[in-house]
Formats: sequence, C-alpha cells, structure tokens
Amino acid sequence: MKNTGQLSRRQMLSAAGFIGLAALTGCGGGEDGGDAKDLSKKQNGAMKEYRVGQQFKASESLSFSILHNNNPIYPMKDGWLFWQEVTKRTGITLKPVAVPLSDYEKKRSVLIGAGDAPFLIPKTYHPSEVAFVSSGAILPVSDYVHLMPNFLDKVRKWKLEPELDSIRQSDGKYYLLPGLHEKVKSGYSLSFRTDVLEQLGLNLPTTWDQVYDVFKAIKAEHPDKYPFSDRWSTNTPFPAAALLSYLGQAHGVKAGWTYDNLSFDTKAGEFVFTGATDAYRQVVEYLRRLVAEKLMDPESFTQTDDEAVQKLLGEKSFAISANPQELVQNYRYNLGKQVKGAKIEMVPVPLGPAGPVVMGGARLENGVMISTKALKSDTFVAMMQFVDWLWYSDEGQRFAKWGVQGTTYTYSGGRYKLEPGISLMGSNPGAPKDLQKDYGFFNGVFTYGGSWALVSSSFSTDERRFQDAMAQREQLPIDPAHPLQSVEQEQASLWDTPLRDHVTQNTLKFVLGKRPLSDWGDYVTELKAKNMDRLVGLHNTARERFKKENG
Amino acid sequence: MVSLLASRAQRARTSVHQPTRGYRVFQGVNGVILTLVVLVTLYPFVNIIARSFSGERQIRAGEVALWPKGFNLTTYKIVFHDSMFWRNYGNTVLYTVVSTVIAMVLTTCYAYVLSKKDLKGRGVLVGAAVFTMFFTGGLIPNYVLVTSLGLKNSVWAIALPNAISVFNLLVMKAFFESLPSELEEAAEIDGLSTYGILLRIVLPLSKAVIATMVLFYSVSFWNSWFSAYLYMDRTELMPATVYLRNLISGATTGGNAGAGTDQLSQVGANIQAVTIVLTALPILCVYPFVQRYFVSGVTLGAVKG
Repeated sequence: MKNTGQLSRRQMLSAAGFIGLAALTGCGGGEDGGDAKDLSKKQNGAMKEYRVGQQFKASESLSFSILHNNNPIYPMKDGWLFWQEVTKRTGITLKPVAVPLSDYEKKRSVLIGAGDAPFLIPKTYHPSEVAFVSSGAILPVSDYVHLMPNFLDKVRKWKLEPELDSIRQSDGKYYLLPGLHEKVKSGYSLSFRTDVLEQLGLNLPTTWDQVYDVFKAIKAEHPDKYPFSDRWSTNTPFPAAALLSYLGQAHGVKAGWTYDNLSFDTKAGEFVFTGATDAYRQVVEYLRRLVAEKLMDPESFTQTDDEAVQKLLGEKSFAISANPQELVQNYRYNLGKQVKGAKIEMVPVPLGPAGPVVMGGARLENGVMISTKALKSDTFVAMMQFVDWLWYSDEGQRFAKWGVQGTTYTYSGGRYKLEPGISLMGSNPGAPKDLQKDYGFFNGVFTYGGSWALVSSSFSTDERRFQDAMAQREQLPIDPAHPLQSVEQEQASLWDTPLRDHVTQNTLKFVLGKRPLSDWGDYVTELKAKNMDRLVGLHNTARERFKKENG
Repeated sequence: MVSLLASRAQRARTSVHQPTRGYRVFQGVNGVILTLVVLVTLYPFVNIIARSFSGERQIRAGEVALWPKGFNLTTYKIVFHDSMFWRNYGNTVLYTVVSTVIAMVLTTCYAYVLSKKDLKGRGVLVGAAVFTMFFTGGLIPNYVLVTSLGLKNSVWAIALPNAISVFNLLVMKAFFESLPSELEEAAEIDGLSTYGILLRIVLPLSKAVIATMVLFYSVSFWNSWFSAYLYMDRTELMPATVYLRNLISGATTGGNAGAGTDQLSQVGANIQAVTIVLTALPILCVYPFVQRYFVSGVTLGAVKG
C-alpha cells in the first residue's frame, strides 16, 4: 500500500532533462520525412474536400494511437460503443494506451521523453505543454490548423483569437489544441444552508458584504460554531483554492486555483505582480476578517475535503464552497439523509469591488497535443481531419457527449434525453446501464467545451440557474500574449516558484492572523528580494517583443 | 526519568535475580508505551475494516471508528462483481509469484557466489551490485531499455528489472558467509559437485533466510505499482495496486486544478475501504506464519560473538 515507487522530484527533474536529450537525438532523424510544410505525401486516407458540417470519413481504414486518461469512475473498456462507433463513422480505429488518472502527467512525461508517445495526447492542461516545447517532441499545431476547418470556424465565430494568443510560445506558435468554449462556464461558488437562513429571516447573499452579514447572523445564533468551513485545500498547491479563486474574481484578481504571479494592469498597460496588488490585499483582508471574527473555520485552509464536508453534514458549519455536482450529489444528497429538513443552495458568485465580472481566459479548456512523430506519418492529414471532426465539429462533439441518437439518447425540442435504462452520473438511479461506464460517452478525454447549447444540455436545474446567472456577467479582458524564449523561461521558472510559494505561505499567515496586516509593506519588500521586479520586467519585455514581432 | 529507571533496571537485571521494584516499574512503563504503539499501528487497519462494512453515509459523517456503523455487505458484493478488479487481482498474484521465483533464484545464486572469499574478482562483483544502490540510470533510460528489449506489456517488465534487490543480496551473502566452510569441504570430499553442495547442503541449512527473503520479495512485489504503471499500456494488465491507487488518489484529487468540473464525482468511501481490505488481506494472512523465520532470518546473517 505504500507508494514505494513514487516519483521523487529529482526523478522528475532528470526525466524532464532527458526529454531534451531524447528529443535532440530524436530530431536528428526527424527531417527524413522531407519538408515539414509539404503535406502532399502525407495524404493517405485523407479527404480531398473536408469542410465544416461534413462528416469525416477516411478513404481507407487507418488507426491512430492515443493516450487515454483512465478515470476510475468509468474505467476504460475495449467493448465501449464509443470505439466501435468512431470506427464505423470515420474509418479510424483508435488504439488507446490506458494510463491511470492518478499518475497521468508523469507517464505522459516519460513517454514523450522516451520518444514512445502515442500520436494523440489529449487531456493536457495549459501550460503543461510548455515543458515539451523546447524538446521538439510536440508538434507546433498552429502551423497545421489550416487542415482543421471546424476548429478555425469556432475560433472565428466565438472570437477566440485573443485566447489563442495567450497560449502562444515565443516563436509565435501554439503547441496545444485547446478545448473551445462559446461562453465562460463557471465552476465554483458558495453554498448555504437555506433552511438555517430562513429560520433567521435572512436572504441568500448577493455581495461579499452580505456574505459577511449572513455569517455574522449565523454566528450570533450559534456562537459555538463556525458558520463557514471550507474545502479544496489539500491536493492543490493553494489552500482554499476554490474560495480564493472566486473571491479573487469578485475583486478582479487571480487567486487560488487561478493564481498566476503575473497580472496585466490594463490601466498602466503593463504586467504587475499579482500577489502584491491592492486587489489581492483586499482579498486577504476580507478573509482575515472572517477568520478573526471566528466566522470562518481556520482549519478551512488545511483540512481535507472529507473533513470539511463532515462538518457540514454534522451541522458544525452552515456554508461551504460548492460546484453544481458536489452540491447535488454530495451535500444535498447526504444532508437529505442525515439532517431532517435541511436545504442547501449555491449562490451565483457574490459581487465584490470588481462588479459583475468573470475572469477572462476561461474559454479555453484542456486539449490535445500531437506528437511530432505523427508528422512523419503518411496519414498525417487524415489524422488532423479526424481530430478536427471528433473534438471540434458540432456532430463530433454531440456524438462524444451523448452517443448515438436512438441508441443512447433522443433529441427533441432542443433537449437531450437519455434512453430509458441509461443513467448518467446518478441521474437515473436503478438504470442497468451507465452512459459513461458502459458506453464510453461523456468521457472527459473526448468531451469538453463546445457551443453553449451543447455544454448546457447536461446541466441540472441547479446548475442551469447558476450558469444562467453567471453568463450575464462581463468577461474581463484577457492578458496580452507574453511568451518567453526558452532561456528566459528557465530563468523565469527559477524565480516563479519561490515567489509563488512565498505568496501562498504569507496569504495563509495574514489570513490566519499569524502575521499582522501592517506587515504588508515588509511582505512586498520580501517579494522584491525574491526577484519580483525582475520577473515582472522579463514578462513586460516579452510582451513588447511579441507585440513587435507579431503585430 | 525513564532513562534513570532503565539504568536502574539494567543494574537490577545483572546483579539480582529477583526483579527489583524499579525493574517492575520499568517493565510496566515499557508495556504501556508498547501497547500504545500497537494501538496506534492497529487503529488504521481496524478503522479501514470497520469502514468496509459500514454505510456510505456513516463514513461521510465521520461516525465510523472501530466498529462498523450501518452494517452492510452490499459494497463487498459490488466489488466482488467488478471483473476488472479481479482481473487485476489475478495479475498481482501472477506478477508476485513469477517475480519472486525469479528474484529468489537470481539472488541466491549471486549471494552464494559472492560469499566465497577465494573467488577471483569478488570485489568487482560486489561493487557492481552496490553501485546500483547509489546510482541509477534514471527513469527514461530504464524505460527506453525495457521498451527496446520488447518487455513492455509482459510480466518480464516487472520481474526482470527488479529481480535483484541489493539489500537482500547483501543480507543473504552475509548469511552464507556465516555457514561453516568445513561443512562444504566435507561435502566436497564426499564427492558432491559445486551445485550439489549448494542444493543439498547449503540451501537446506538456509531455510530461515530463504523464507525471509521470499517474504521480503513477495511483499514488495505485491505492494509495488510503479513498474506496472510504467510498462503496462492496458488496464487489464495492471495489478490491483494500480487499480487501488487510481481509485483512491485519482478519484479524490478535488477540482483537478480547478478545471474539468463535470468529471468530479467521487468513488464511494466504502468502496475504497473494501478494495484496500481485499488488497491487504493476503499479506496480512501470510505474515504471522512467516514471521517466526523473519526475526531469526535477518539476524542470522549478523555477526555473532
């Protein structure tokens, strides 16, 4: 049971280092396939005319290897209808390499480093592709998106160019085919025990000031309890990562999960250091007040998710961070069994000084990397067309999400309905089959993003209400592109991590009252000593350069 | 205080046969401390077993400690019907048996050879083994090696690279060295060949150390997940440990860095508990029976007065 084989940091480093080496040797033979730009010899199986709205069908049967993130909730099966149907519709057989979700990133690094990676490497979250760029093992896909009409169409239709710019590297290319969203999909917010609020004659709060008042009122009624005990503090680099990220959003600053050392200050027209901004300080001050007045459980920043949920179920706390799934499947479900008359609701992210906004840049999802080896294959064009169809066409996205019409779902009046006997994430308890487990659809490897109609088609009532409210909000502008060159990148990552750690540690210290807020100036001085200004300078230079070179 | 007691107790032990009061107090304190250690060690096991028989709700509410609450067997039924779990379980048994057999043969032969003091180049052979304790080729070179030898997706990828544990090798070598050389000389005079001596004289005398090594190896192979995870590309080739690891750490990594929220349901806490119990059970059952060799086996190799 011990994780004796756990990769140490040193092993990971040596792995990363070797990626470079392996790629150097790998690249020596890499140009055998002739001119990389000349695709005329790589047309096997490709369609001559492939357009938006057209079903992709390979002219001969082909197979492509793909890295498959094996989710324990729906473990991969060879007999999934998904695989058969893909082959039937496109003539492509996918050859999955199953990797346990628990260690997906590690194996991906090893496979790429060893030159043994499958052609298609999905489930890659930006910026993890950056580590492979200098090795040359990953294809600069932006050079080949002209083979992908659906991708281009969606980028144009949904005006995603600025988002795409944000993932470009210093060579002006991007190496990841990201998932594309028509609208920002919000994930997390606060949830409250509404029955407790009703007893106290309180309404659901809509601003952070009201949140404070509600907590105050609950505290007055239950002086021995903490009104709010939070989660998502373990297994993430940031404590209370969800809370900080949506509280930060209300202040217009990246914090928690979304934290990034660099933020673009639109007024000043330059990058600034996030952890030293006024907005960030306000976030910290707000939480400090909650903790100091015993409105928020100080263990919120260290406890496991289970502990936090147990406090909620044991009525030791009355509010907790939620996402629509957790709200329904965990809190409400378990409260219903345990606490008589308990009701819990999730509020749209309360408003803060920044007004009704959502963070920019959230319209890109995880996506697909493509191994450079694929370019040498004579079926390269067909593969790109296939990727375009499955991940980016309306039909492909609908298929990956809902399956086969008449077999797994019916569609009428703009609504998707699962066939009787099929359940999805507990929607139809007692059904003998499950859309994910038994058919292989709604699989996180293939299903994400898309039009709002498709994305919202699987929302529960709660989620629909939440998302509709959030969709009204204005998207903050996204940071301009500022890709670093590889030498700069190395320098930046040396500065980046200690700074980030310092911000995290001191956020906690300030919030928990272990450091007085009057120390803020000293804290900024410490950040400077850790090369804050040089890091910011580096990125500002990179932005200028990118602007000059790429317009 | 304790050290004072201890020194007094030691004096008591050496000078008087009748245990003094101080010695009895020492034994009492000792007993209490050790009992606490036992309790702390046993608690997680008992808790997991209790969880495995409990209802999901009771576990989530944190009510389960030492005794199952909301007793049910349905979770066991669910896991028993999960064919992939049993397939992986079977793999674990297969990988453990094959790997342990190979490891035992190789380690015994290597250790026996190294125990011969008059062997030419012995230092080099020992050095070669010890070198790998301190330096390794690294993850990716190993991966490339195993892959290019065509071992991927087979039991050999797990058995061969881990066949010799240098620590076990050195323990065995020390044990063989402690066997009186006269025995082997006598056997040689009686006409036994080198292999005969090993098989008919040395090995029968080494049961304790062999049992210990079998235990060491089999436990480590049973618990290992990394080689399988690295070299196996298909779910049906994975051992139960990878299944378990995916179930536990994979399913509870919160928001997966904030993204992909629609993949966020959790595997039931009781399913985790049942899987853990079933995976740990065989080792727990075997341990008490091999344990008696265990203590003698490891110390046998040590220097004696």
